[in-house]
Amino acid sequence: MVIVTLLMSCADRVSKKPPKALKVEAQDLLSETNIQEKKWLSDYSFFTLPLAKLEPQEQVYAYDLNNALFSDYAHKKRFIYLPKDTKMKYTEEGVFDFEVGTILIKNFYYPKDFNKPDEDIRIVETRLLIHEPQGWKPLNYIWTADQKDAQLNYVGGEQMVSWTDEKQQVKTIQYGIPNLNECKNCHNKDNKITPIGPTAAQLNKKYSAINSLQNQLETFQSLGLLELPNAHPQLPKLPVWNNPQTGGLEERAKAYLYANCAHCHRVDGSAKNSGLYLTYQEMDQRKRGIFKPPVAAGKGSGDFEYDIMPGYPEESILIYRMKNNDPAIRMPEIGRVSAHIEGVALLEEYIKSLATN
Amino acid sequence: MGVVLTVVVLNQLQMPEYNPERTYLDMEEAILEAFILAKDSATIQLPEGHYLFSQELSISGKKHLTIKGMGMDKTVLSFKGQTKGAQGIIISNSQNITLADMTIEDAAGDNLKITECDTVLIRNIRSAWTGKASTANGAYGIYPVLSNNLIIENCEAIGASDAGIYVGQSDQVIIRNNKAFYNVAGIESENSTRVEIYNNEVFENTSGLLIFNLPKLTRYGHTVKAYNNTIYNNNTKNFGVKGSIVSAVPKGTGVVIMATQNVSFFENTVKNHKTSNLSIVSYEIFATDGDSQSNNLANEARAQGIRAVESDFREDNSYNPYPGNIQISSNLFENSYRFPTLTNEYGILMLLKNKAVIPDIVYDGILPAGATLQDDQHKICLQENGKVNFVYMDAAHDFEDFSNDLTPFNCKFP
Repeated sequence: MVIVTLLMSCADRVSKKPPKALKVEAQDLLSETNIQEKKWLSDYSFFTLPLAKLEPQEQVYAYDLNNALFSDYAHKKRFIYLPKDTKMKYTEEGVFDFEVGTILIKNFYYPKDFNKPDEDIRIVETRLLIHEPQGWKPLNYIWTADQKDAQLNYVGGEQMVSWTDEKQQVKTIQYGIPNLNECKNCHNKDNKITPIGPTAAQLNKKYSAINSLQNQLETFQSLGLLELPNAHPQLPKLPVWNNPQTGGLEERAKAYLYANCAHCHRVDGSAKNSGLYLTYQEMDQRKRGIFKPPVAAGKGSGDFEYDIMPGYPEESILIYRMKNNDPAIRMPEIGRVSAHIEGVALLEEYIKSLATN
Repeated sequence: MGVVLTVVVLNQLQMPEYNPERTYLDMEEAILEAFILAKDSATIQLPEGHYLFSQELSISGKKHLTIKGMGMDKTVLSFKGQTKGAQGIIISNSQNITLADMTIEDAAGDNLKITECDTVLIRNIRSAWTGKASTANGAYGIYPVLSNNLIIENCEAIGASDAGIYVGQSDQVIIRNNKAFYNVAGIESENSTRVEIYNNEVFENTSGLLIFNLPKLTRYGHTVKAYNNTIYNNNTKNFGVKGSIVSAVPKGTGVVIMATQNVSFFENTVKNHKTSNLSIVSYEIFATDGDSQSNNLANEARAQGIRAVESDFREDNSYNPYPGNIQISSNLFENSYRFPTLTNEYGILMLLKNKAVIPDIVYDGILPAGATLQDDQHKICLQENGKVNFVYMDAAHDFEDFSNDLTPFNCKFP
């Protein structure tokens, strides 16, 4: 009897499956709605037809970043639409300034075989950030099964995707498409919606889609889209997290944390209440997590005492949360359902290396 | 082995549980869409029924929004088994928000999180985790943080593995007419200023009411009034996640005031706690209280960590780790328990030093170097609380001047 009770209480705790629910229709939940957005991605004329080739029209330019946010191994193609006769405005730190009318376009796709990244592609979603007079607005378009167009979507959803990775392993996940409010969660700086990616340090690289010979920033300048500062011999540049030629272990770990965590974990981001700040510039070791006790991590602390325990990745909350896929534990909280194995490995190596310091 | 097993099971059986009857309906997409498309000044009216969600519901950057159900017992939003987002409902960066008349249940993380908002009314909301109180439950029930001008009233909070009703890093808060039970912490005010906590009923948590101030956060707390509350039987085994601050709070503590200044606690009833009815402590007692059962790390790394945390709060000039300017007056303290729990070191200390009496009021007596109790900013006044067992621990000096003498604390703030 005793044993049975014990087993039952264990089984109870392990069961994470949601219960069953009967589908019902809703009526008049909201006092008023008023939708004016374009219904299809093709309505914007960003790309020539067929749309899925993602060949940019005039005023639409491809760009790439030194460090991308991990999104369940999705590949990404980024473009910027600049209104006629406008330029991006260079800033040394933070994202460039863009004129009203600018649109950032980010396509998420999976090649069938990651060793042939340009063949047999399935585009899942295209996320837009539109610079309107009253501020930036996120919108999301989900691609149809026939890949002819993508349809406006507010509520997000899930799609089963599979691919063969570089090591010939077949991977399948339930990819999560964010709803509109989730977009705002990450694109929030000082309570305003802002782009995250296009900073000088992130754009400072070569990108074959726009010019394989010249640095992106210089290419933008020669196209008349950007003015670089005069007499500036060294433009800021982030190391690439998985390329040891671009920086030491610590620099690359910091670059990874910057791209994957710092949009919320910064003094003016959504996770400021945590006191964990991971911008590339943050120098305070405690604020970077070293021997920092958690504030309101809940289950996320995983019985560990510090975000980073130097020398002990297996006792560090940061690693615990990066590895975990439970929605109450995982970090980032949204935008992934699987762990980034290579990213975790980099951070583990970094935390191990801190022991000798 | 048999004995161990029985003890484990008994512990399990002792945990309180909450098992409402539920028949789930799925209106997820329509309700999610209403949350996303709601414009400023809109009302989202949720119908009667038990609705199940696979993901969190969020509101961001809105003004004058009302979200209403048909009543705490009629409209239930359940997030049991959710796969996306950690919260049940999260409202961020918004102003003039009303959330009323529903139950929010079984979120993976927090049931209701309000962050960076101004002017929020939370009325007649029940936050609950169903089943046995368990570490697997979500952390915070009703959880406003980094927000100003808040009212939490006529709510119920059940089963949180951190705090049932929590307010953190916020200013101008009223918490009234609520019930909090089966949580690790019933009600917690942390790093918040100008908070009034009254007419609440707080029972069968690990600890009833916590008024805390923690270092290294965006802002620090002071000026809290708590009155007309009934706080009793908070003796539930601590089921907090290790590493969380509340997991270090011993069971059987009615009220804990830590490292907070300008606190007024009056006309409350506090009774039947196995460790102490009310305690006033400094942050030092937490910071140096190494968790003996935790991991097997190299001791040197652990020691380094403790030093780092210590130096952090000592170097932080805007943080005051010592309670002061505290008035505890006209309360009713009682205890039906006659012997302190021996599950924590405070209980053992009372056994050894306090003739095995459970104290009504404990003060750790830790002060910064050179300071005295007579300093205005360190004054602690204990007045007109009837017949109480008072303990001055003198924790800084190995309990050398441990005492039951109330005389030095017979003072009143103007």
